[in-house]
Amino acid sequence: MAYVLQQLLSKSAKAYPEKPAVWARGKSITYRELDERSNQLAHLLRKQGINKGDRVGLFFPKCVESIVSMLGVLKAGGVYVPLDPQAPADRVGYIIGNCGIRVLITNSEKRLALAPETLSTLECCILTEGAADGDNLIEWSWLSEFPAAQGPAVTLIETDLAYILYTSGSTGRPKGVMLSHQNALTFVEWCAEEFQVRSEDRLSNHAPLHFDLSVFDVYNTLEAGATVYLITEDLAVFPTSLANFIETQGITIWYSVPSALMLLLLHGRLTADKLKSLRIILFAGEVFPMKYLRQLAEVSQNTELYNLYGPTETNVCTYYKVERERLAGRGEAGELYVRGPAVTYGYWADEEKTRKMVVPNHFQAHFEEKMYRTGDIVTVGDDGNYYFQGRRDSMIKSRGYRIELGEIESALLSHPGVREAAVLAVPDEIIGNRIRAVVSLHISGSLGVLDLQQYCASRVPKYMIPELIDLYDELPKTSTGKIDRVKLAAEPAGVR
Amino acid sequence: MIESAEVKDRIREYVLEEFAKTKGINQITDQEVLTKNGIIDSMGIFRLVAFLEETFNVRVGDEEITHDNLESIDAIERLVIAKSKK
Repeated sequence: MAYVLQQLLSKSAKAYPEKPAVWARGKSITYRELDERSNQLAHLLRKQGINKGDRVGLFFPKCVESIVSMLGVLKAGGVYVPLDPQAPADRVGYIIGNCGIRVLITNSEKRLALAPETLSTLECCILTEGAADGDNLIEWSWLSEFPAAQGPAVTLIETDLAYILYTSGSTGRPKGVMLSHQNALTFVEWCAEEFQVRSEDRLSNHAPLHFDLSVFDVYNTLEAGATVYLITEDLAVFPTSLANFIETQGITIWYSVPSALMLLLLHGRLTADKLKSLRIILFAGEVFPMKYLRQLAEVSQNTELYNLYGPTETNVCTYYKVERERLAGRGEAGELYVRGPAVTYGYWADEEKTRKMVVPNHFQAHFEEKMYRTGDIVTVGDDGNYYFQGRRDSMIKSRGYRIELGEIESALLSHPGVREAAVLAVPDEIIGNRIRAVVSLHISGSLGVLDLQQYCASRVPKYMIPELIDLYDELPKTSTGKIDRVKLAAEPAGVR
Repeated sequence: MIESAEVKDRIREYVLEEFAKTKGINQITDQEVLTKNGIIDSMGIFRLVAFLEETFNVRVGDEEITHDNLESIDAIERLVIAKSKK
């Protein structure tokens, strides 16, 4: 039994050396190549001073080298931190500083997008693409100088950290969820058993690698000796191409947020024929509107559908198999708490947040145990399933991304010209929520909607930039002087 | 008959104003791959298509919404010109 993630690769590299492990952008690598390349990268990282527990950032668009990098960092004993390749330089710089990344795996184009202050904190950059035309730059081709047959000797145990995933934080800065090998393996082994992933399977990877849905795609592939097909932006944006891709590559297991499946349904010209290779569709991250779930169930008659649930902090902790003909249940609403080996230790360099979210389990009288507060308000139905009712805080989902509205408000308020800002979620059938901001300025007319959007673009990821911004002279207040969000939500966008 | 240069100008202006600038990108070339840096995402592509249909009086089917047809301002112009000749 594996106790660290890289053992999943070693096992499959022995069993299926010549089988393709990863496919991306028309290129694939076999298990043997993945094993050898990641061994070489691990040696290189050790040479660059990476020791047990050191964080290594990954900052480049999804490609075969992404998976080599994840495994290479783990084999060096390090902790990888996938960074959103489309995030603004300011946010990436914050994360690099927050978790103390000194070695970054990137490409020449992405490296140039970083701020000089960020670059000056890095000891070296390893480039997956492009020439090393400067100090402290290492070309990918240098990997071949290192031993391929075996990785460096490193002693790790299952409670050591494997990766950190940054998610939106309510205080204006993203927070780093720390996940151990055990956290991930508990989830991966459960999935392997539950979904019987086999070496013949072809898994898709739709989610970005900084998004925890990708943990299943990557590590369950390695666990089973299967093949993972990384879906890059040239496919993800075009529903008919994506539908054809599922058919031509013979994808058998699909996992994504519901909004991706809804775009396929609405614009992908989906037919039962296109989906005939699919045996399992998993979805998670947001509510799947019943109307579209029914359409999906209709067009994928021979596919099993599962709704997985679990915030990044807990991996997946419960799920619901979609039965094609039932629904119901009622009960009392309460907050869902999660315990068990898949639950995170907390947030990197943020004890206060950790204490708030990862709390002692008072229901466990005989020994100490921690549990994670999800913030999701649920009811338990008579059928034992949990029914999502809403959120305890102002976290929302848009296209499956977790967004703290407070983080966007902080971004807007940090602009010297902005006096007040309230950010609201506007429910949307397809993407879950659209983001609307209502802003008042110190000097009316001094800033336009585009100025504010551009300013946000320098502070938050693209999916968090308000799509709609209304400028008010003053924001409405409640009797206690707080911004009246209820009133704002009732006023349609663009009325003033 | 609509002029090729005019088509390109209107497409460039729309992409720049509607997508690039709101994401903090103030300059794009006609060859730039629009999906690469998230200038156009999976929802944006349908707004773009609606704009093309309305502005140039062409019809773009779901099966034509592909990377090859819409990857850059150059590609979009080719698609619109080919369609308006029909």
